[in-house]
Amino acid sequence: MSAKPTLSTTRKSGMRYHILLATLGLIMILPFVWMVLTGLKPLSEVASEDWIPTVFRWENYQEVFSVIPFARFYWNSLFVAAWVTFLQVITSSLAAFSFSRLQWPGRDKVFLLYLSTLMLPGLVVVITNYQIMIQLGLVDTLTGLILPSAFTAFGTFLLRQFMLSIPASFDEAAEMDGASKWRIYIDVILPLSRPGLIALTIFTFIGNYQSFFWPLVMLRDQEKYTLPVGLLFFDSEVGQSTHLLMAAVTMSVLPMIILFMFMQKFLISGIQLGGVKG
Amino acid sequence: MRIKHPTFRRLVTGLSFLGPSIIGFMAFTMIPLVLSFILAFTNWDVRRHNMFRTEQIEFIGWDNFERMFSHPAFWQYLSNTLFFMLGIPVAIIGSLVAALLLTKELNGPSGLRRIHFIAMGVLMISLAVLLFTGFDFGNMLLLIVLLFAGILLAGLVGKATVYRTMFYAPHFTAGVATFLLWKKMYNPHTGPVNAALRPVVSTIQDVFQTLPPAIGPILGVLGVALGLTLMAFLFRRIGQAWTDGDLGRGALIGLSFISLLPAYLGWRWMEGSWLVILVLLGNLGLLLFFVVRRSLQPPFRQVAPSVGFANLVLPLTGGIVGQLIFIGLAMVAVQLPAMAATGEMAPPDWLANFYWAKPAIMIMAFWAAVGSNNMILYIAGITNIPQELYEASEIDGANAWQKFWNVTWPQLAPVTFFIVVMSVIHGLQGGFEMARAMTQGGPAGATTTLSYFVFIEGFESGRLGYASAVVWALFAMVMFVTLLNFKFGNRHVND
Repeated sequence: MSAKPTLSTTRKSGMRYHILLATLGLIMILPFVWMVLTGLKPLSEVASEDWIPTVFRWENYQEVFSVIPFARFYWNSLFVAAWVTFLQVITSSLAAFSFSRLQWPGRDKVFLLYLSTLMLPGLVVVITNYQIMIQLGLVDTLTGLILPSAFTAFGTFLLRQFMLSIPASFDEAAEMDGASKWRIYIDVILPLSRPGLIALTIFTFIGNYQSFFWPLVMLRDQEKYTLPVGLLFFDSEVGQSTHLLMAAVTMSVLPMIILFMFMQKFLISGIQLGGVKG
Repeated sequence: MRIKHPTFRRLVTGLSFLGPSIIGFMAFTMIPLVLSFILAFTNWDVRRHNMFRTEQIEFIGWDNFERMFSHPAFWQYLSNTLFFMLGIPVAIIGSLVAALLLTKELNGPSGLRRIHFIAMGVLMISLAVLLFTGFDFGNMLLLIVLLFAGILLAGLVGKATVYRTMFYAPHFTAGVATFLLWKKMYNPHTGPVNAALRPVVSTIQDVFQTLPPAIGPILGVLGVALGLTLMAFLFRRIGQAWTDGDLGRGALIGLSFISLLPAYLGWRWMEGSWLVILVLLGNLGLLLFFVVRRSLQPPFRQVAPSVGFANLVLPLTGGIVGQLIFIGLAMVAVQLPAMAATGEMAPPDWLANFYWAKPAIMIMAFWAAVGSNNMILYIAGITNIPQELYEASEIDGANAWQKFWNVTWPQLAPVTFFIVVMSVIHGLQGGFEMARAMTQGGPAGATTTLSYFVFIEGFESGRLGYASAVVWALFAMVMFVTLLNFKFGNRHVND
């Protein structure tokens, strides 16, 4: 008796929710639609109320590269983000292995120290870190951008949570076979932690691709600008050329959207891991 | 010896894995942290202490902090930061609603779906042909319908994943690029926001010119009434929670106290207009009727004084912000007839206007926050709620609303708690990127948050000691909020 009305409500509600979600989804992406369309307008139509350009001006995209060293900014951003990600995955996974798989005196106290810095506002260390960078002579270098970001408590915490979910029987079995801790780390734990490693990779990559405060204070030379700093510079230089700026913004947003579309499964499991158990 | 040796070896192995991480952790987190604390008590200023002028850096005790607390700008920036944080409950509620929608059963019967699918496909193709062959009547409308049909089409195939991607995209891409995008959209003359608002505003003006001036006060009363209805609902919940024994005495008093915030803010904004008296009396009346009356009766069961705080604090702040929005609308409505009579009504200047810059940034932040990690966490939380609980409440005859309040909401309490803690912590440190990319902290400091203030002092003015003091004050606030949340939140989470 009670099953029937439930079924009929789903029958109707399916489409109703589709329409509601599509409407909300449309509102969410409207800014992006305007961004893409404005990036294809000629300068004369930038102020026009009509969103659709009369002619699609693809040359805008070429022009961006000639007005500012956009390719350079792109490369710098990708270079920094890739290096930070690479280093962070290595240091974090090693530390996470130590915290989750090895027994040593004082381990939990050290982990607690890591954990307590998760709540630390990044601003607290930024001023002193800048002075340290001056002492090391790394101001206005890409190394100076990479180094302080390569070690995070967050990455260690995330991977530790992930590794704790791997049953201990796996490494016990490997240990029986006479495998050393390094072997276990490389051949057992790392392959099994793949989803966690991928999630951390995406988080770190996007975080550093977008990172703004640190590059802004560190960089002087235009040749070393990363995308966010470069876009800001572009906006202050050619404030009126909204069409070019939007073409540049589109190009800087695009890699992230593509990355998300292909990687969202890993990303979402990573968020849940870092979140719910945190 | 035999026992000690393995322990030592274990330590060596453990530390060798930890090595690379802990060296970096020490060098770029722990040491800077300690130095930053020391710095907060010095007068280090790069304009006075540099390679040309070797004045001694001195310890000045609490001087930086004294200066900060007597600095009116600090209080302005602090209140800016707190004002921006009023958007947090709204954003969390938005994430929850999005998550609830995304976890609905989206599979209709397949035959029906195919029909919708074909219909949308035909609609899309015909619209696209119309649009690109230069059919120039109402291009904008065609574009919207085309996009809508496209999204629906994709949604019918890809289900929740498609919508989730669209909701999540603004959060995922949020950064200087999207802030610059919104800056251009908010441009009063060339941006699409005002282009869309202009016809709306002029319609409102026309309508109000034809209506009698009494419509202003009527709308004002309506706005206040809507706000009060919202509060009545929340007060009733508080009263109910007390009777059910879900709320301790301390939490009851605390929550009642917080709930009078809109009335207080209304008093400050409206400076004794008759609307504020309405808000004040209404709130007090509702408080007396729903909370005080009930709290005179002993609760159903005795609990510790602070229990239940975390469970109700989010709906309550949500209600307060909702009421503030309604009061704000009421204030505008009261003045509308007079404004319309001048015939010069125009959409706001957004980022260039002292009063509109903050709302403009908050609207953008809401757009970026609805589909954030919070939504993903809520989706996971909702999926994890045992289906039996819903079945049991259905047998008891609960409707959808009751099912939400009695099953979904309590089951999501741990997730909500985590989200509130993280959002408040982020909120306190937030606002730098938006301020730098969109407004430079202006106009007249309206969008300067504490983090932007630190940037100005530490990196533009070079007062490192003073900037460090501000950072540590911020850190203290973060710690305080975290401890408060843990004190009140933990009990509920462990239930």
